This record gives sequence, C-alpha cells and structure tokens, in this order.
Amino acid sequence: MGVMLEARGLNKGFGGIQAVNDASFDIEEGTITSLIGPNGAGKTTTFNLINNVIRADSGSVKFEGTEITRKMPHKLTRLGIGRTFQVTRALDDMTVIENMVVGSSAENLRGTFGSRMLDSETERALDLLAFVGIEKYAYSKAELLSYGQRKLLEFSAVLMSKPRLVMLDEPAGGVNPALLERMVDRIRRLNGEGLTFFIVEHNMDLVMDLSDSVIVMAHGEVLTRGTPEEVQSDGRVLDAYLGMA
Amino acid sequence: MIEDRAAMGPEDSAPEPTPEEVQRPPGPARYRWYVLAAVVVALLALPLFRPMISSYNYVLTLGALILMWVAMSSSWNILGGYAGYISLGHSVFMGVGGYVAGVLLYYHGISPFLTALLGGLAAVALGFLAGFITLRTRGPAFIISTIALLFMFLLMTDNFEYLGGAAGLPLPPLEVPQEWLRVPFYYAMLFIAFGAVWTSYRVAHSKFGMGLRAISEDETKAEVAGVPTRLYKISAFAMSAFWVGVAGGIYGYSIAFIRPTVFFTIAISAQMVLMAIIGGKGTVAGPVLGAVLIYAINEFSLVVFGATEFNIVIQGTILVAVLLFFPLGVVGTLRKMNRLPAFLNWD
Repeated sequence: MGVMLEARGLNKGFGGIQAVNDASFDIEEGTITSLIGPNGAGKTTTFNLINNVIRADSGSVKFEGTEITRKMPHKLTRLGIGRTFQVTRALDDMTVIENMVVGSSAENLRGTFGSRMLDSETERALDLLAFVGIEKYAYSKAELLSYGQRKLLEFSAVLMSKPRLVMLDEPAGGVNPALLERMVDRIRRLNGEGLTFFIVEHNMDLVMDLSDSVIVMAHGEVLTRGTPEEVQSDGRVLDAYLGMA
Repeated sequence: MIEDRAAMGPEDSAPEPTPEEVQRPPGPARYRWYVLAAVVVALLALPLFRPMISSYNYVLTLGALILMWVAMSSSWNILGGYAGYISLGHSVFMGVGGYVAGVLLYYHGISPFLTALLGGLAAVALGFLAGFITLRTRGPAFIISTIALLFMFLLMTDNFEYLGGAAGLPLPPLEVPQEWLRVPFYYAMLFIAFGAVWTSYRVAHSKFGMGLRAISEDETKAEVAGVPTRLYKISAFAMSAFWVGVAGGIYGYSIAFIRPTVFFTIAISAQMVLMAIIGGKGTVAGPVLGAVLIYAINEFSLVVFGATEFNIVIQGTILVAVLLFFPLGVVGTLRKMNRLPAFLNWD
C-alpha cells in the first residue's frame, strides 16, 4: 500500500494566529486515518487547506503523486477526493436527490445544458441513499431532514463522485447513537472495499475503535502520529488535551 | 447533551432502516400545456384583431413593452434568481444592444431587425468580460460593482461624439404606414420574450441551472461538491445579458432615438429586479408573471387615479402589500404553500 495523500509543510495564518504551522503528514492508501486534537488545533483548517477551500500560505499537497496544492476544489472532487463539512451544509432548498446529483460531472456541453438528472445518476443516487437508509426522503426538500440524517446525506453525497479518498469532518458530531452506529458500519464496509478515509473527530471511542492510524494536532502543529494504542499512551497527547504542557 | 437531543428527529429512532418505496413526485399536470398553448396562440393572433381593438397602436405598444420586460426580467433571473447574484446594472446590456443596433442603422442603414441579435452577442461579450472581473466579489460588493459598470457606460456614452453624446442619435423611422407601425415591433418583442423564457426554462431544467441554484445557496459547498462555480457564474452572467441586449436593439428602434439616459439608468435595471422579485425570483414563471403584474398595477392605478403623484403612491402601496403577503414573490410563495396552479409551475 502506497501513500495516497502527501502534505508537506502546510502553513496558514489568520491575522496574528498561526492556525496551521508547518504541518506534514501522509495518508496511506486503504487505511482509516483520524486527525484529532483539542479545539482550535487547526484540524478543520488543515482539511480546508488540503482541498483548497482556503489557500495555504505555503506548503504543498500531493494526491496519488499529483501536485494539487493550487487546484480548485471542484477539480479535486473530480480527481477523487470527497469531503464533508463539520456543520452540515446541505442545500436546503433543493431535494435530497438533487443534493446528491448536483456535483456529478457533466462530461460535455450537452450534459451541462441537457437534462437535470440522467437516469444513471438517479439510479446511483437512490442506491447510495438506500445504502445509508434515507432513500425514502429522496424527493423531499433537504431542509426537512434531521441533523443526523443530513450528516448521512452529506456522507452519501460524497460517494456520488466515486472518490478514492473521503475526508469526513466530524461525522459523529450531533448524531444520535442509532444513526452513528449506522454511519460507522458504512465507513467500515466501504473501507473494507478499499476506500481510504481521513477523519476529523472528537468522539475518542469512535476514533480509537475505527482508526488504523491517528494524527494528533495541537496549536496548529502536528504533535505526533501513531496507532491508536501508541497515541493513547503518549504523554504529550494528554498534555495537549488537558493543557498541562 | 443538548446537541444530541436536538438532533433526535422522530425518524431517527429506528436503528436499521426498513426498505421503503421511494415516493416519486408526480409529473406536471397535463392541462398546463393547453393553457400555455392557448396563451401563445392568443399572443400570436392579437395583431390580427385590428377592427375589434379601438386603440390598436396603444394596445400593441403596451403589449410590446410588457413582452420586452418579460424577456429582460427572465434574463436577469438567470443570474439574479438562479445563481443569487443580484445585478443592479443589467440595463447596461440593454444599452449595448441598443447602441450596436442603433449605430449600425444610423451610419450604415442596416435594420435593427437584422442587427439586434448582434447587439445581443455584444452584450454577451461584455457579460463575459464584466463577469470575469466583478464575479470575484459577492454580496453587496457585487451589487455595487454592477452599478459602477452602469455609470461607466453612462459617462462613456455621454462623452462619445460618435455615439451622439448626451443628446444621442435620432434613428430614421421604419417605413411602414402609421396604422401598422407597431406590428413588427410587437412580433419582434414576442419573439424575444419566447427566446428569453425558453432560455430561462432550459437553464432551470439543466445541470447548469442546478449548479447555479447550489451556488445561490452555499457557494463553498457547491464548489466542494464538484460544481465549477466560477465558470458557471461567469456563463450565467453572459447568458443573462443576451436577450436583454437583443431587446435593447429593438427598443431603441421602436422609440426612434437612442441616448444614454434611455438605457443607462438604475431605474431601468431596478425595474427588472422588481419584476423578478414580485413574481418570484429563481422560478421560471416568476419574472413573466411579475412583468405582467407590474404593468397591470401601473395601468390600473393610472386609469383609476390619473397621472398624478397619488397614482405613484398607490402603485408603491400595492407592491409593498404584494411582498408582504408573498415574501418569495407570487410564484415562489404559492409554490412553497403547494398552492401554485399547474400552468404557472414551469420549474
């Protein structure tokens, strides 16, 4: 298994605050890697730098050997990086199935100005909605979904573009235990089929249970990295969380 | 945790979903096509009823104006309604179309009925250029930049001798007997209105239009989901300029002169916005209905209250009342309430 994503020396400052400071790490193909750290550690900013929602001050990101640092986010989606948001950003005024299909690429001009939804896309969207168990809401407005269902919608929408790397920003945040169980099960299944995951998460039980590898950030820097067991027994990690540094 | 409890919808309780039949929405009602076909036939046939219409030229002039506003408001809606980028300078494209067609007539004697489409293409070119620059901003900054574009053209045409400066260019009238003079303009505007509404309909029913709607809701999300937002926005800007430019070419000819203040004023741009908002921005039928409604309100209060200041107060009051009861515009609000008659549901 090779390296799928390679981040080198990422930097981002907001005013006087160095949100991400010289962060470097690799994501191995086929693994579930988690990114943890106390609030304000720079986890979400790191996500934003990787898929260029925020432009990095310096540093580079490579995906499957290709330089992607300056590529527009929609190009990264096409390349095979899917990403969800910490606060779900479902497009409320659109139906659930439109939320699924909106990003799928139109190959040419006819695709762009032709029909809103191709039959193949509808079929795939319904399959994926069924996979997470919300297919009966397919033609409802997304605003009608509960918070947990929105998380599931975002999760399945990311899969529409057939990504090879899925970045989830707090998939468990605000999700009730029943839906969370479903989400974890689906992540496992997809990982079993070879999909690579990169997850920001605060739920430690989930992180330790699910991850092959854990990256710990604090104050914008990568503190350490290791297996869940190694990270749990690392004194610096505890310090970072409890503020005893 | 409060957060967790808030997330507990009633549907969340089942741990494993039971497969259920997907509720597909019903297609549009059949009768909608009959209503629309009847409207189209009536519009096409209107000029044929000359003996039965007492103020023939007035009716056709008014009809042509309404059709022009239908076209311009529908075009504005592609950018302002679908993509959510409010342009308050859209009459700049009307002016570009008007001047291109007007100059070709004044200096070269080519009829605007032939060159109006060229005016539309010039407007598209300007739309691309302006969009390329101004669409780096959003929200209020974008609105201001479109107004700036308008003033730029007002200043330029005011001081450009070749274009007649502030006094403008008088255009030779169409050589048609007076009693038939309005007919060609009416049909031209009818054609433009069909074109604009069809364009709007096609956009709304395409992947492109879906991308624009996503942009209006959450641009970052749209981009990450895979929508090429910048390309889509600029294309929407250019596309929304086309029929406005064509309409400007015909309009300048119909009033027989072109000068800067006919086109390059905020009032005209704002009128497109107002019509789209009253009818329901972001819907296909909204701007069409909005243009008709605004004209209906104006004519009504003009007939009842005469051409006085009081008339303007009444118009304003009616508009405020409409927006109070239909905050998303007539079509938008009715659709949200599931009360939209099928012949107005073109989305």
